[in-house]
Amino acid sequence: MVADDFAVLDDPLEQQAFTQASEADDGFVNESVLMVQGMYCAACADTVESALARCPGVLEAQVHAATRRLTLRWDPARTRLSELAQAVGRTGYRLLPMQQALGVSERVKETRQALWRLFVAGFCMMQVMMYTWPEYVTAPGEIPADIVQLLRWASWVLSLPVMLFASGPFFASAWRDLRQGRIGMDTPVSIGILVTFVASSLATFDPTGPWGQDIWFDSLTMFVFFLLGGRYLELKLRDRTAGALDALMNRLPEQCERERPDGTVERVSLKRLQVGDVVRVEAGQAFPGDGTVLSDAATVDEALLTGESHPITRRRGGAVVAGSYNLGGTVRVRIDRLGRDTRFAQIVSLMEQASTEKPRLARLADRIAAPFLVLVLLAAALSALLWWSVDPHRAVATAVAVLIVTCPCALSLATPAAMLASAGALARRGILTRRLQAFEALAAVDTVVFDKTGTLTQDRVVVREVRVRDGWTVERALRAAAPLARASLHPVSRALVARFEDTAAGDGPAPLLEVAETPGRGLTARDTEGHEWRLGSAAHCGLDEAALVQVGRSVADMPCAYLADAHGWVATFVLDEGVRPDARAAIERLRALGLRVHLLSGDRLGAALRVARPLGIDTVVAEASPERKLEQVARWQAGGHRVAMVGDGLNDGPVLARADVSFALGHGAPLTQTRADFVVQSGRLSDVVFVVEQARATMRIVRQNLAWAAGYNAISVPLALVGWMPPWAAGLGMAASSLLVIGNAMRLSRMVAKALSNGLPAVAAPTPTPV
Amino acid sequence: MSATTAGSHGGVYNDKVVRQFAIMTVVWGIVGFLVGVIIAAQLAWSELNFGIEYLTYSRLRPLHTNAVIFAFGGSALFATAYYVVQRTCQTTLFAPALASFTFWGWQAVIVLAAITLPLGITSGKEYAELEWPIDLLIAAVWVAFAVVFFGTIGTRKVRHIYVANWFYGAFIIAVAMLHIVNSAAIPVSFWKSYSAYAGVQDAMVQWWYGHNAVGFFLTAGFLGMMYYFIPKQAERPVYSYRLSIVHFWALIFTYMWAGPHHLHYTALPDWAQSLGMVFSLILLAPSWGGMINGIMTLSGAWHKLRDDPILRFLIVSLSFYGMSTFEGPMMSIKTVNALSHYTDWTIGHVHSGALGWVGLVTMGSMYYLIPRLFGQKQMYSVKAIELHFWVATIGIVLYIAAMWIAGVMQGLMWRAVNPDGSLTYTFVESVKASYPFYVIRLLGGVLYLAGMFVMAWNVWKTATQGKIEPVAIPAPAH
Amino acid sequence: MEILYLLIPLSVVLVLLIIGVFWWALQSGQFDNIEREGERILRQD
Repeated sequence: MVADDFAVLDDPLEQQAFTQASEADDGFVNESVLMVQGMYCAACADTVESALARCPGVLEAQVHAATRRLTLRWDPARTRLSELAQAVGRTGYRLLPMQQALGVSERVKETRQALWRLFVAGFCMMQVMMYTWPEYVTAPGEIPADIVQLLRWASWVLSLPVMLFASGPFFASAWRDLRQGRIGMDTPVSIGILVTFVASSLATFDPTGPWGQDIWFDSLTMFVFFLLGGRYLELKLRDRTAGALDALMNRLPEQCERERPDGTVERVSLKRLQVGDVVRVEAGQAFPGDGTVLSDAATVDEALLTGESHPITRRRGGAVVAGSYNLGGTVRVRIDRLGRDTRFAQIVSLMEQASTEKPRLARLADRIAAPFLVLVLLAAALSALLWWSVDPHRAVATAVAVLIVTCPCALSLATPAAMLASAGALARRGILTRRLQAFEALAAVDTVVFDKTGTLTQDRVVVREVRVRDGWTVERALRAAAPLARASLHPVSRALVARFEDTAAGDGPAPLLEVAETPGRGLTARDTEGHEWRLGSAAHCGLDEAALVQVGRSVADMPCAYLADAHGWVATFVLDEGVRPDARAAIERLRALGLRVHLLSGDRLGAALRVARPLGIDTVVAEASPERKLEQVARWQAGGHRVAMVGDGLNDGPVLARADVSFALGHGAPLTQTRADFVVQSGRLSDVVFVVEQARATMRIVRQNLAWAAGYNAISVPLALVGWMPPWAAGLGMAASSLLVIGNAMRLSRMVAKALSNGLPAVAAPTPTPV
Repeated sequence: MSATTAGSHGGVYNDKVVRQFAIMTVVWGIVGFLVGVIIAAQLAWSELNFGIEYLTYSRLRPLHTNAVIFAFGGSALFATAYYVVQRTCQTTLFAPALASFTFWGWQAVIVLAAITLPLGITSGKEYAELEWPIDLLIAAVWVAFAVVFFGTIGTRKVRHIYVANWFYGAFIIAVAMLHIVNSAAIPVSFWKSYSAYAGVQDAMVQWWYGHNAVGFFLTAGFLGMMYYFIPKQAERPVYSYRLSIVHFWALIFTYMWAGPHHLHYTALPDWAQSLGMVFSLILLAPSWGGMINGIMTLSGAWHKLRDDPILRFLIVSLSFYGMSTFEGPMMSIKTVNALSHYTDWTIGHVHSGALGWVGLVTMGSMYYLIPRLFGQKQMYSVKAIELHFWVATIGIVLYIAAMWIAGVMQGLMWRAVNPDGSLTYTFVESVKASYPFYVIRLLGGVLYLAGMFVMAWNVWKTATQGKIEPVAIPAPAH
Repeated sequence: MEILYLLIPLSVVLVLLIIGVFWWALQSGQFDNIEREGERILRQD
């Protein structure tokens, strides 16, 4: 049963984002796009649809199982979205507004169009092959001339849809390039298609003319079909990735409690907040805007924004930042800045800007396109020239044959085939590829930059060591501390509870009464016998930290939490950020691959060095704001380096956008994930290394494919020149060549499979990192 | 999309016409197989022609082919198409009066065939022997069929059109086109016409029709049946729905050009024969795609085959489908065809497809359908289904094995030449050598017919013990 | 082989028709949600 308060869905301001109204015969009809959460099978979709169909005011409900998208047409005069959401909630599923509703429909339309073009090309290709086959298997004259003409006419008719419609994308793109004075891969493709069609049409309708009497309709249609096939697959990949990432962005519009002037409280959508409002932010909620703390104190987690690994205490009058989380009890905050003016928004806009300044790597294939085209045209001209002196009648026909035979098919497929195969392989391993060209960029990278908090370290604090009073055991200390720690959301408390549960120390903790938390200091409680217990900072426990260090009961330079009872010191819990177990191996492997590794962190220098040194990282830049991070990366790039960045938080957003290649880890900020080139959903750093290796393998295959395509053309041009390349051979050669390229690319999927079974440097055993 | 439209549904499915066709399927099965047994016996013992012109082999053979293809197969297709289109569209039949007309009209066509063919009234075109007045009736029935079927799809309550309906739809349209083109004739009297085409042109059209009749009547239509009844009986979805759609599109148009493979080494130009050969080979891929899709539906649930004879009928039918669609392309290769053409191997091939694929899938589907049409959960006797399965399968194996051996033997005998270039065997010698195999084939056919009697008994018991109750069309909320 | 003057144009027309039917199917969303449709019949009656 899902029993959220869906009232916020009725707020017209919220609805704007995912609902469109249209006029109907008697009033208005709304069409809303929502996401259904909790579905895992097709029957679930049916349940949701049936539940909605039963509600009055619902005109149509369609659930698209694969993307969990619900398109709902409903009558606002007869029902409300909140009621509909509740009806669905009663069946156990949660409706959420689809954030990128418009974007999704656009994508669906585009992919549908691509499938349509592909089908037309494929269908016509098959029929045209059937029509041209007789000419290939018979000697000239065996088939009566009029039948030959009939067959050619039929081929021409069915090549028209392919020319006029299916080839659209190539012509459009070549035209765009031409207008910008560029030559891209689509230029030779378009020229090839055009020349083939024109020459074949002329051969059909004027067989005795200078254009010759060979028709190449089957090559034409096959050619277009293969290329469209590649594009269609690219779009499907894009849809899958985008769909997975979109899902991250879908949340119920947030609400919070706002104080009215009379002191009572109302729940409002965040969009309705205004500067000067006083809101109550509960524990675990994010602050809706930049504001001033009105309560005594607040404990906030700003890691997502700044990378600070420690929670921060803000006293009354202090400032809190939009997007940071409230770790303590309910806090009253006065809103000072909202929306665009918040720090959060500043970072986002920095990110947008940085992405426009990202260095663009010209695609390998595009770079060859121009010289290739020139060579082809030269070869054709040459052949025309040579034949002019021998037999002028054949000059044009041979030149045409040369042009057609140097089909850029394999060339055009060389890159996408390889990248798609790799992207598919990565997807099976849980790594999303958002930008195929990133493979090429990644293979050229010489520097890898990591963020610290949440990237190299796990996103939580861990208890590294426990020192206890004589006569106490570690388990006993944990059992005593646990009930206090349980009462708080503070990362240190969570670490203690985690450690306690790991050791599974015997029976449960003793119950405590009156647990109270003092932000920034610690917790206090009384047990059933009336003794007081304290857990927290040294000061909070009434202890002298330096003295404890001197007698070996504590450790210098490391964050510690203390447990004290009425008699004084009981235990010291030495804390540390948990460095990921596979970080060391991953970084070693990267350096073995010849890459330099740096650390860019928003946290303090000490914390950064503590993580960097044992991992063998070359350079550490700490206490860096998002702007500073960006500046550093730009400087490296200006120095001629190609940079790959690995991060998770929103504060990494701008630098991820600017880097040549970016990796986001799966647990990180949704916005960051949706902009990164690769999303490593597992969060494992060994996966990052894996992608680097895969990218290099991909480019190897791409180069092989391009070499093959070049070789094939090198052979077929002379053959066509001397007239030894009849249409059937050209068609066959082109098909074989394309299939070879695709087959070679498929090896990339197997490479992944092999690597998985051989076991890349697997998750290494946790090594205690020395101080 | 899986749109479910709000609003109430009333109404019940129109199962009356389904029931009528289903019962007639069994009846015509017996008739068709019986005539088959008779003519098989006549081939072994020509005395059984009795010198009576109405009973001669030459007149009874077309009666057999028409009865099994159009009466038995046709009734099964009508019954299941009407059933499947209603259930998958969640609506009742469009134009029920027309649906009823298709039943009575089709029975009239069959009865007329049963009368005219033994009388020697024939156009001489294989599988299109019926003369022009009956052709016109067929056309009328077919138009009505198309209206009912597509009208039902047009008034469907579910947005997506289930794949089986695509197969049925293609079957209906293709048969309409084939029938109209091939049966074009110039009548000279009420029972006599001349084909609009002549000579080798007529042959080309005839086999364009003939092979497409196989492709669309006997394959596409029954694939529609398969795609519905196998998932329903196995209670599992089709292995890959995506594949079934690709299978559909790939099949319908590769079939169109395979026709010339019936005319190898005839007056048809070589290149046309080659075309037919190549595209018959290409046809292998989509055919097997469909077969694999159907069989793999049981993936993870093979144990069901142990206990469920209906499922066995359906799955084994697919194996025969696979076998025939492999054998067919092989036989369309010119060198192979040089041996097989005009021999009994061709008959063996036809019957492995007809008895193995068409027959078994029809029986399996009827065993699913008939109890439900009489308000029952299953047939009166499951053991009888089991018996039928084994008897029929053994019959098929005997039949096709006998024909393979006979066919290859005939081909080899016909082409055997002596060192001096003369033929080693006379034609009569090959006929005599075929005799034992004709007897075995007859035995196979008798078994197959016997199985049908078992089915008839089972259907009778089920129908008389059952109650016909209208089945309500479910409302969307379920 | 004059019959080809019938059969070949007929096949051209057929191809165009089939393309038209595919277009209709695509536009009306027949291919949008393939994964589920195979199971739908199991849930009906």
